[in-house]
Amino acid sequence: MKNTIKVERAKKNWTQADLAKNIGISRQGLNSIETGKFIPSTVLALRMAKVFDTTVEILFQLDDEEA
Amino acid sequence: MEQSKKIAHQNSIIFALIHGAIYVPAAWLLKHRIFEQPVSIIIAIVPIITFAIFVYKLIKSYAVMDEVKQRVQFEAVVIGFALTVMLVMLLFLLSLCDLSSQGWFGYAQLPGYCWLFYFVGWFISKRKYGA
Repeated sequence: MKNTIKVERAKKNWTQADLAKNIGISRQGLNSIETGKFIPSTVLALRMAKVFDTTVEILFQLDDEEA
Repeated sequence: MEQSKKIAHQNSIIFALIHGAIYVPAAWLLKHRIFEQPVSIIIAIVPIITFAIFVYKLIKSYAVMDEVKQRVQFEAVVIGFALTVMLVMLLFLLSLCDLSSQGWFGYAQLPGYCWLFYFVGWFISKRKYGA
């Protein structure tokens, strides 16, 4: 699973701590999602998409071998 | 929200300390057979009650964690449980051929190993998720 969280974060000029606070998780938790170590739940993915004013499909994409 | 998370976490630590503070003197009293058997049974039950409250508070504190931390705790418990079962099985099998050391692997030591294995699982899972 790939994600564009870092890119979306950069667009808003947010740090990991800012985003983590906005979606109600810890900074370390967000870091493991951003680095692809942890795949978030649908609720968290939707919450993240909402704060970035985008869609889950833009934030998360399947890898070629997963598709 | 952050405040309630902190309170839930603090509560579990407080009850862990209360349990520890009751368990040690209870074990000492029972070991030295200071009281009659009926009183000893009550003394033996008290730390179990405090432990049950601690576990309840711990589960409540898990409920307010974010999902990454919940996964870390879940994997830590699974690893800790699996390693404890393995140790108990090994001790049972060794005891069948009279190879057991009560000084190192008795009932008194088993909860300690159980916690040790939980922390091993916690360390592994924390490294895995970087959380």
